[in-house]
Amino acid sequence: MTTLVLDNGAYFAKIGYSHEKVSVIPNSQFRSKTSRLKTFTANQLDEIKDPSGLFYILPFQKGYLVNWDVQRKVWDHLFGKEMFKVDFADTNIVITEPYFNFTSIQESMNEILFEEYQFQSALRINAGSLSAHRYFHEKNSELCCIVVDSGFSFTHIIPYCRGRKMKEGICRINVGGKLLTNHLKETISYRQLHVMDETHVINQVKEDVCYVSQDFYKDMEIAQFKGEDNMVMKDYVLPDFSSIKKGFCKPREEMNFTGKYKTGEQILRLTNERFAVPEMLFHPSDIGIQEMGIPEALVNSINNMPEDMQSHFYKNIVLTGGNTLFPGFRDRVYKEVRALAPVEYEVSVVLPQNPICYPWEGGKLLAENPDFEEMVVTRDDYEENGHYVCEEKFDI
Amino acid sequence: MAEKKIAVRSQDPGQRRVLDSATRQRRLTRQLEALEKDNFQDDPHASLPQLVKRLPQFDESNESSKRRKKTRGDHFKQRFRKNFQTLLEEEDLSVSEGPNYLTACAEPSKFPQRHFCAVCGFPSNYTCVSCGSRYCCVRCLGTHHETRCLKWTV
Ligand SMILES: Nc1ncnc2c1ncn2[C@@H]1O[C@H](COP(=O)(O)OP(=O)(O)O)[C@@H](O)[C@H]1O
Ligand SMILES: [Mg+2]
Ligand SMILES: [Zn+2]
Ligand SMILES: [Zn+2]
Repeated sequence: MTTLVLDNGAYFAKIGYSHEKVSVIPNSQFRSKTSRLKTFTANQLDEIKDPSGLFYILPFQKGYLVNWDVQRKVWDHLFGKEMFKVDFADTNIVITEPYFNFTSIQESMNEILFEEYQFQSALRINAGSLSAHRYFHEKNSELCCIVVDSGFSFTHIIPYCRGRKMKEGICRINVGGKLLTNHLKETISYRQLHVMDETHVINQVKEDVCYVSQDFYKDMEIAQFKGEDNMVMKDYVLPDFSSIKKGFCKPREEMNFTGKYKTGEQILRLTNERFAVPEMLFHPSDIGIQEMGIPEALVNSINNMPEDMQSHFYKNIVLTGGNTLFPGFRDRVYKEVRALAPVEYEVSVVLPQNPICYPWEGGKLLAENPDFEEMVVTRDDYEENGHYVCEEKFDI
Repeated sequence: MAEKKIAVRSQDPGQRRVLDSATRQRRLTRQLEALEKDNFQDDPHASLPQLVKRLPQFDESNESSKRRKKTRGDHFKQRFRKNFQTLLEEEDLSVSEGPNYLTACAEPSKFPQRHFCAVCGFPSNYTCVSCGSRYCCVRCLGTHHETRCLKWTV
């Protein structure tokens, strides 16, 4: 028996057998202007030589799985001979789903896993629960932790106590990587160059140049300086997908502060966008989303927990998901939570080495856990008792 | 205050239309919805001849599948082609007990709203009389009037 662990994110599928390594693969299909007859699935993205104007077909909407046609194409590809060559008769699956998933989505999921693919057993679980498992595995003397999962569709804050999910404390901020990329795209399109069709390229710009400010208004001042004093300013060379395959930042010593570049490269000049975009995670109200930012929501969520647990949460804040990779993210969360928390509490914020794959690592550990068999629903069980048994067994 | 002076100088309220709050709200909603879009361009396959399968549409009519015998796949398509909003409504959370998707949404922040120029993104002190957008200086206000403000339709 083998176990396949799939953290089925709205942007990336984090997938691998529990005894092997993890792969991070786009959970979507693509169409390109240059290959007008083909639809590319998952990592076939790499086959597209010119991904300018790349068109996305996504299985998720607002973080929930709605487009099953697309999801099944991606899964067929992942499970099939080109990738994981799953022998369903001999494989269990650990698969993630979002918090407060809708019943009809859960039932569709059961049907597809057991009836279509025919996995031997399945465990449906939230990615944050896997992260908590991973965290407690390493820090086995800790009683509580509070997980921040900031991915493509949104950001969740979830308190866990001894592996138990504290539902009353779960908080969702409707800001994720997709919104950040789209916002950056709009800003650039309005201020300098029309890039509304270039989600793929601008997403890369975001990951390459954006950072979380430690002193927002100070950075705003610096970003207004003229010439070399403007330490925030960066020039980004856009890819043309012939001689420049990947965009990059001009090294500071090659930057031309006074005039235009003579080279034919297409350049984006970024100033306050660099930190104003990720700032949305900390102040969603900056763009009119009237919700708390991450640090305030963390403190609010902890305040809703029993008082004797609160100090434990403050010293076990775990950051996961792609957005936590912005430089400065951890320090800013620490600084703001420290300022908001009661002085007598210790505050500790952990950014794991690989915050995108942290839940997957938890899934791997879980699959190796002696209790794993108790947690799954087997195909026989499902065939006998249907959705009911899944609902009973999964903490979801 | 400076805010008043600039407002009077560059915008004669007798001349410039002023958007009502419902229109302003609609604008904001539309802007936020735009940030949820997967693509802004058209499907590159959309303009191709019939041969090519189009992107699945939720409201696609089931005419062709009706003619064929119903298969398992058809069952799937009908049951699973629902968008987020439909699923949310079907879940009928108003009657559910305990925390749910709706209650889990973060509360409004207790910190004061911050304001940024709609043109350059730097902190702003002034509000456009016509549409409520923020701006930081006369130059940005000019750009705002020329490019967005009343030119944006909802
Ligand atoms: N280095 C990075 N800096 C900032 N954002 C990143 C980085 N790497 C990935 N991301 C963003 O993280 C998101 C994907 O993170 P992930 O946790 O896998 O989300 P999901 O589980 O929702 O698929 C994307 O929006 C991506 O742009
Ligand atoms: Mg995720
Ligand atoms: Zn301005
Ligand atoms: Zn205006």
